[in-house]
Amino acid sequence: MPSSTASGCEPAAPARVEVRRGAAEGRPAALCPVLVGTCGYSYSEWIDGGFYPPGTKSAAMLGLYGRSFSVVELNYTWYQMARAESLARMVAAAPPHLRFAAKLTRTMTHERDERWQQQLALYRQGIAPLGERLVAVLVQLPPEFERSVANRTYLAALLDGLEGLPTAVEFRHRSWAVDPVFAELSRRRVTLVTVDAPALPGLFPPLDVVTNPDLFYARFHGRNLEGWRSGNMQKKFNYDYSAEELDAWCAAHMPALSAAASGIIVFNNHVRAQAPRNGAQMALCLARRWGAGR
Amino acid sequence: MSASFPGTRERAVLHFNVADFAVAVERVADSSLSRRPLLVAPLGAARAVVYDMSEEAYGEGVRKGMPLRRATRLCPRAALLPPRPELYARAMRSFFRELQGYSPLIEAGRVDGHFFVDVTGTHRLHGPAVDIGWRVRRRTRAALGIDPIWTLGSGKVVAKVASRLVKPVGEYIVAPGEEEDFLAPLPVTLLPGLATRERQLLEAYSLTTVGALARLSTQQLLVAFGPRCHYLHAVSRGIDDEPLRPAGKGPETLSFQHLFADDSNDRDEVRTRLFALADEAGAVLRGRQLVCRRLTLRLGYADGSEASRQALCRTGAAGDLHLRQLAVEALERAWTRRTRLRACTLLCDRLQPRSPQLPLFPECAAGPLRAQRLQGAIDTLRQRYRQGLVGIGRQGLAGGG
Repeated sequence: MPSSTASGCEPAAPARVEVRRGAAEGRPAALCPVLVGTCGYSYSEWIDGGFYPPGTKSAAMLGLYGRSFSVVELNYTWYQMARAESLARMVAAAPPHLRFAAKLTRTMTHERDERWQQQLALYRQGIAPLGERLVAVLVQLPPEFERSVANRTYLAALLDGLEGLPTAVEFRHRSWAVDPVFAELSRRRVTLVTVDAPALPGLFPPLDVVTNPDLFYARFHGRNLEGWRSGNMQKKFNYDYSAEELDAWCAAHMPALSAAASGIIVFNNHVRAQAPRNGAQMALCLARRWGAGR
Repeated sequence: MSASFPGTRERAVLHFNVADFAVAVERVADSSLSRRPLLVAPLGAARAVVYDMSEEAYGEGVRKGMPLRRATRLCPRAALLPPRPELYARAMRSFFRELQGYSPLIEAGRVDGHFFVDVTGTHRLHGPAVDIGWRVRRRTRAALGIDPIWTLGSGKVVAKVASRLVKPVGEYIVAPGEEEDFLAPLPVTLLPGLATRERQLLEAYSLTTVGALARLSTQQLLVAFGPRCHYLHAVSRGIDDEPLRPAGKGPETLSFQHLFADDSNDRDEVRTRLFALADEAGAVLRGRQLVCRRLTLRLGYADGSEASRQALCRTGAAGDLHLRQLAVEALERAWTRRTRLRACTLLCDRLQPRSPQLPLFPECAAGPLRAQRLQGAIDTLRQRYRQGLVGIGRQGLAGGG
């Protein structure tokens, strides 16, 4: 069972739930390991929020995080280019069961320029120390990245460049929610990220189309309608999912989740340590309703 | 809900640095300048030196402080502009305003596009420090047209070294606890605050990387570096508790500077300019009913090196003659080389209000009282007419008197 704080006793692989594949349809049992985690782990705010014990230093956070979760999405690789020496030190210090998803650097998504191919080469070198522990490279595209010819060409080239790496794409513009896009992602075995966000016009809808039979990837941003376009992260990601909301999500998305060989569910509502709290709740919810031991 | 003790919180210090600040500002003022190399230097002076240059000119070999004639030979395609310090100061103020929304603890450099911002404990308002760095950069690019480097560290030293690594553009995040590993492979010359003599010593001892320096104990460093051993020992391990010094929050310092149009080592000229600065300082001090108890003279040599010495006055000085005397005392100790001077700066600090107490036995203090009355009369004349109207011998009245 997942623990709710980082200071508790740790199971071997916390917040990892073996979901019975085909559970929703009553097909023969097969297991789909679902790893639950958060977007980032190094938040001093989580000390105040009670997830980390008082006085926790940043260097100790990943070890403590690993007591509660089995996957973490590295979001600092969005802010700066991944650096191999730094990631190698991090991996060496991380608990052995912990797996990593790494966000693609903003110079290839939100602030790209003509040198993006060099950036991609640097990125591939930078994340190399993650090795087998890399579960996905997350390509998060900005809200203004609509489905134009130029953007389609760019995305195709980018995905070509990421060939060989487990890749997931998160769209923010709803123009990408069309069958040809899903078909192309399926052909490439690239995961379409399922997003939980406020129901606002223009945003990519919360679809559960499985484009990659190897991996299902869901990101929970919170449903803060007022804060979403405030320009302030602390308002945008300030949301606490209720048990009912998480339960309803599980029920609605279980067919998609159990259609893949493995799954990642991460929470981005980091404000006031709501993400780790909701992550632990989600793992409990999955285990209770769909877990193999049930 | 648990609470952290404020003193135990890890610091988060952002460093913003606009590379070639004067050039960046000039290019915002005139976008056509962005298409060619640019040199900023005083025009018309026989021995003018480069004040700032663009990255392209740097690539051609031009350096700050280089004689302009040589710089134009190295980079003949470069556009040439005179420095506009007031414009750069205005750009600094605009940048400062962008930062003010994130923290009250901001330390600004000397009109050079450098800012340190301590964002420790601001996450509840503004989110993670990395996000602040990214947002400030995005905002300054959009609002001011300048593209600062931003770095994040647990102190000023680490953040500054990271800036030097990514110059002229980019960002660098050094996570808390990573400082020593980050610094270890870097050249020791990237550490800020090293004096020329210290650099020479480090080279002589083959201490080329920060890691090599970090392996030595304070006792070992004491032998070569004396009392500086503690600083070197700490910074080489990334330990830096030095607080930021926000403008206007620390003890006040009055600053007066003269830039020589042509570098000079003419003793009379230097003393004349120094006296003018002392008189200027005296006028400000007397106007605010203050005295200063420490006067610092900073000399900038033509080769880019600096020397500074101080003169102390326990009772406080505000009169022109007294300040001149202190300035000369500092000059005698600071000016030890024959190299020409480019600038001299007079700093008055340890300020305190002038005492209104009159002497108990006026007959014993006749001299000082007379000097005080004379100074008062001179000030009255200067205020009524102009600053240069009345001077003291050897000053050489500017523009005639």
